[in-house]
Amino acid sequence: MQSNLLREIVKRAQTGPYMKENEFDLKVARRIKELVRDHGIKYDASVLVPADDDMADRAWEAAVQLFVEVGVYCQTTERCIRFTRDEVFEILSQVRPEITLGTGKDAVVMRHRCVEDPARAIMHSGPTGTPCSERYHPLILQSCAQEPLVDCLGAGSVSSYYGEKVIPGTPLEILGARRDAGVAREAVRMAGRPGMHINDVAVPLTCAGKMAACDPEAGLRPSDGILVSQMVELKTDFDQLSRVAHLYNIGGVTVDLMTPLIGGVGGAAAGTAVVSLADHILGAVLYDADYHMFSLTHIHYVNNTDSMGLWVNAMVGQALARNTRMVTLNDIYVVSGPGTKELLYECAAQAMVGTVSGFNMQGAGTTGGFKEDHTTGLEARFIAEVSRASLGLKRQEVSQLVSAILPAYEATFKQPNRGRSFPEVYDVETVRPTDEWLAIYSEVKADLGSRLGIQFKYDTRLAGA
Amino acid sequence: MSVPESIRAELTQALTDGETDVAEAVALKALAAGVDPLLLISDVMIPALTDVGSHFQEGEIFLPELMMAGEAAERVTEHLEAAIAAQGRTTAPLGVVVLGTVQGDIHDIGKNIVATLLRAHGFRVIDLGRNVAPSAYLEAARENRAQIVALSSLMTTTRPLAESTLNLFSEVGMRKQYRLVVGGGCVTREWAQEVGFDGYAEDAAAAVALCKALVSALPA
Repeated sequence: MQSNLLREIVKRAQTGPYMKENEFDLKVARRIKELVRDHGIKYDASVLVPADDDMADRAWEAAVQLFVEVGVYCQTTERCIRFTRDEVFEILSQVRPEITLGTGKDAVVMRHRCVEDPARAIMHSGPTGTPCSERYHPLILQSCAQEPLVDCLGAGSVSSYYGEKVIPGTPLEILGARRDAGVAREAVRMAGRPGMHINDVAVPLTCAGKMAACDPEAGLRPSDGILVSQMVELKTDFDQLSRVAHLYNIGGVTVDLMTPLIGGVGGAAAGTAVVSLADHILGAVLYDADYHMFSLTHIHYVNNTDSMGLWVNAMVGQALARNTRMVTLNDIYVVSGPGTKELLYECAAQAMVGTVSGFNMQGAGTTGGFKEDHTTGLEARFIAEVSRASLGLKRQEVSQLVSAILPAYEATFKQPNRGRSFPEVYDVETVRPTDEWLAIYSEVKADLGSRLGIQFKYDTRLAGA
Repeated sequence: MSVPESIRAELTQALTDGETDVAEAVALKALAAGVDPLLLISDVMIPALTDVGSHFQEGEIFLPELMMAGEAAERVTEHLEAAIAAQGRTTAPLGVVVLGTVQGDIHDIGKNIVATLLRAHGFRVIDLGRNVAPSAYLEAARENRAQIVALSSLMTTTRPLAESTLNLFSEVGMRKQYRLVVGGGCVTREWAQEVGFDGYAEDAAAAVALCKALVSALPA
């Protein structure tokens, strides 16, 4: 059983070493370089899914060292919150290895997964990271919630409230948060899955806004989740920690959101893997997270389907799977948009890597979050299908498969195919994908089957295919 | 006295590698040898840091290398500016840019990269940090006699605050005194034009090019 450490965390945030933020960033960057060198963590573009258990364990040890030595920067107090190595391991030993999400017959148990775990990954969907319009937001959510292979829904973000722009910290943020929570609740009800877990309402940027989304009748319930964010890298503030306090009060599900950058403070792939692992430790130690949402993105392209992103994902997943009991979620971010083959190939690559490396699934964050309403439930179906088809595969096999998939989209990063918006690829009356979007889906699926030998296990015809 | 080739090579290498102590030592050695500090800035530092910025933009190096080069440059600049002042001369930056992430937005990696590259190109940057109130941009622009006010906004929900900042400059009658530009994940060129910004930059390299173009177009 974990315990509420917030009193101690707040105390350390006020008494820890004072440091300017840019000094902290440089300290983290420099120490990561040293740790990567000292622990011999090496990125190899020809092996995108390493099967090197010892390197995964060394990456984990580097992350523990990083976390203990530099701590977590509190932006509110400009001080470092530090925990000793013994304290870190004591807290990690108490991490819950599974969490029940949702209620009633729609509830699912999301578990810590192992490397090459034969058990299926839990599938989260929704427009998380891709902004929606007020008009299409309800339909987009429904398109995700109605997918049979989707287990949980993210409510996403709408930037207006009856046409008025939602400004953080204003009453409109409070109203918008409650409205979006209600829309998500209605979407799962319309899908015939009223107890489905909803993993956050993304529009509010403040703790007050997150709290406003909570309403057992018409909004988020204790069986739903709220994201508690980290700021890159290894940073938090009192607003985020206050969300943890609120979740303790209501017994809600705490979701640790981290957004490490490939090419960011961690540098190249090896360093990004180390800092991403340290971010997970932050989520366990400071947020007491029920599960961790790993939203890795490239600093230039805002995706994690490039070769470094795939490798980092594999390394982080395996290190966590082998050394912790954390329940983890691979948040798939792609540069492409709906109605394109590239989007499906991007999703396939990350779904395979994540599944074999010990993650549960979430996706997809389409178009790098740049294009409003460019998101649908069909890509979630594809991620889930590929993830299930990956069960039983070995890391070496997946490494070869994703190397064969990568050329289908890699050249588009600088000029991505953003595809089309929801009403262009879905019938907005029936909330079904258009024949054209389904034909592209079938074509890519057939290609993965015939060219690469991926054996799909689920017949999606009843879902509208 | 022009910059000796050995000094140029050593300082360039130290800046590129982000070796702050080495860069500082080379700069001090150059000053002791009588090298013109203005030449060190124009002929060595700016080209070296421009290269670093280009390599970052092309994905050949990453943020740590950029940050470390920026730190090394900052340390060297302190010595060079002191030497210039001691000679009774002044440095004229390419321009003065007030920079910050708009109110409500706590993301600042992109803004920090822009600040580093602008400084590398010879701009004086007043970095207001993140979550910056509209009035803070205004006050900083006035106090520092800025030419450019640059806003960064990552989250869709913080975009209205970028617009509010722009509006405040108009309301107090100071809109025409500054060039207001915007960038960040949630911003598009179309939106920036629609609400009346003077420029939009899709990434850090574009921000540098935009600021250069804007200051060069200002009346002398």
